[in-house]
Amino acid sequence: MRPLAVASSGAVPVAVGPLADLRLVVADRTDLTPAVRRFALRRPDGGPLPGYEPGAHVTVTTPAGHQRSYSLVEPGGEAPDEYVVCVLREPAGRGGSASMHDEALVGAELTVGEPRNRFPLHPAKRYLFVAGGIGITPIRSMVARLRAEGHADARVVYLTRTAAETPFLDEFGDDTVHHSAERGRLDLWPHLAVPDDETRVYCCGPLPLIRAVQAMTAHWRPSRVHVEEFAAPADGFAAPFTAVWAPTGRRVEVPADRSLLTALRRSGVTVDSSCEAGTCGTCRLALLDGEAEHRDFALTDDERRASLISCVSRAASEEITVGPPG
Amino acid sequence: MTGGGRVVGLYVHPIKGLSPQPLTSVALRAGGGVPHDREFALARPDGRYEPGRRVGLPKGEFYTLVDEHRLAGLETHLDVAADVLTVRVAGHEVLSAHLERDRDEVLRFFARVLDLPEGVLPVPARDGGRRFTDVSRRGDEPMNWISLLNLASVRDLAGRAGVDAIDPRRFRANVLLDGLPAWSELDLADREFTLGGVRLRGTSRTVRCAATEVDPGSGRRDLPVLRLLKQHLGHEMMGVYARVLSDGVLEVGDGFSGGGAVDGEAVGDEAVGGGLVGSGSGGGGSVG
Repeated sequence: MRPLAVASSGAVPVAVGPLADLRLVVADRTDLTPAVRRFALRRPDGGPLPGYEPGAHVTVTTPAGHQRSYSLVEPGGEAPDEYVVCVLREPAGRGGSASMHDEALVGAELTVGEPRNRFPLHPAKRYLFVAGGIGITPIRSMVARLRAEGHADARVVYLTRTAAETPFLDEFGDDTVHHSAERGRLDLWPHLAVPDDETRVYCCGPLPLIRAVQAMTAHWRPSRVHVEEFAAPADGFAAPFTAVWAPTGRRVEVPADRSLLTALRRSGVTVDSSCEAGTCGTCRLALLDGEAEHRDFALTDDERRASLISCVSRAASEEITVGPPG
Repeated sequence: MTGGGRVVGLYVHPIKGLSPQPLTSVALRAGGGVPHDREFALARPDGRYEPGRRVGLPKGEFYTLVDEHRLAGLETHLDVAADVLTVRVAGHEVLSAHLERDRDEVLRFFARVLDLPEGVLPVPARDGGRRFTDVSRRGDEPMNWISLLNLASVRDLAGRAGVDAIDPRRFRANVLLDGLPAWSELDLADREFTLGGVRLRGTSRTVRCAATEVDPGSGRRDLPVLRLLKQHLGHEMMGVYARVLSDGVLEVGDGFSGGGAVDGEAVGDEAVGGGLVGSGSGGGGSVG
């Protein structure tokens, strides 16, 4: 499930994964704006940390015990000496951001999961980054990486309420930085009107901004538009995984926004289906290895041990092996 | 089942999977469908569709909302007289092209939206007189059935499921009816009725498919309509197909009357949950 990054504070609860937890200390804390505080997390012995690429996030257990995912704002690399996250204090939140602001003092020890990346930066000729508020955090890591590498064509549109509430403002002097309190909402259409297969669009920010970018890119190649979804839709799709088709051993990547059924068909596997909503059972497959996340309304618990409904169900592990129904 | 029932909306979907276009009236002929409805479709290049094919195919052979929910994010309009397709995104025109003369431009546009690999284009499907309705694979007569939706049933489902509202456009019907008891349309299968001056006969209850999960405005899959139907009603039906029995002009506002043996009683939950499923001519191909 995507690190529901930054609803508004920069975090919401996520499930803990299988990756190892680290014990890190708060080495530095700095206020970037009146509401956004920067935290640098290091190993107690100052040694190198597991590497990460731009767009990665870590799940932090706050001093009060909340689990929150925060994007890493630095460009990353193989063995960084710190993880830097920025936390927006959210007075109306459920306490995670307040606990970080009030209790994660310099020297405090925090449990931090290893970095994961569900918002990776793919190679492209051109980039358009659209960031809203605290949504700048993963975008900043990407832009910093690209500009450090001398990538010439990375445009940034950064939307905030006021200049005072704009973290990293001085780094985006040559970009489009728009403050809605001064000039109203920015019309994004001029930036998105002409679809370009060589441009990748990355958007992170509040939900209405993500929805606006999705709506305005309906004529783009979907594979060129990347958004940091804050919450997985209740009945929608979630994490990508790999399916192995047992009869041929073929490995099929199932992206977050495709069903197992669709991904198998795209790779040439014939699977019958009817309702495609998890109720009729026509697209049942044998579950031969790995763990399934069952989302159907067709199978009994008993049946679920050895089969799954491919139009809605997904893998609970990174990989599952499936085959024709027995 | 006479009384307050009337036509509150008429729609044509000239291109399968793309936007509904509202009508104020439609001239129907006995045995015919809504003119231009689903006369154009985008077929999968690796599929079974071939130009000139005279036999219906399952919807999986075409690009539809079931697999391609993003299509609903496009606001399309086909001027059927001029054969010009206009596409708008977030209110801005992004394509205006003649379906035949600018065919490559149209196909390249959809290849991009469908994210087809470099050099691959969807196959334009249009064969004079044929419709790519979901029931077309049941034969040439079902191909011309018109689809009816009862807004009371849509509201009832929303109420039971505890959601604010369910956009009736999800069900992509030709005729929207209101003023009838919820779910009474399912009883129209095998019964004759009239809308304004047009006689029709209900033919088949409409078993829905996952295309109804797609929000017509945003193109996001955001509501598990089938699951809600199954949970709250015990079936997956919404709406009914009908055959047109007489020539006539159907207009928004026309009254409903008839319904054969049923005399106006609301269909209770029990009947819907129990007796209706699998009885009569309900069932058939699941459709969006």
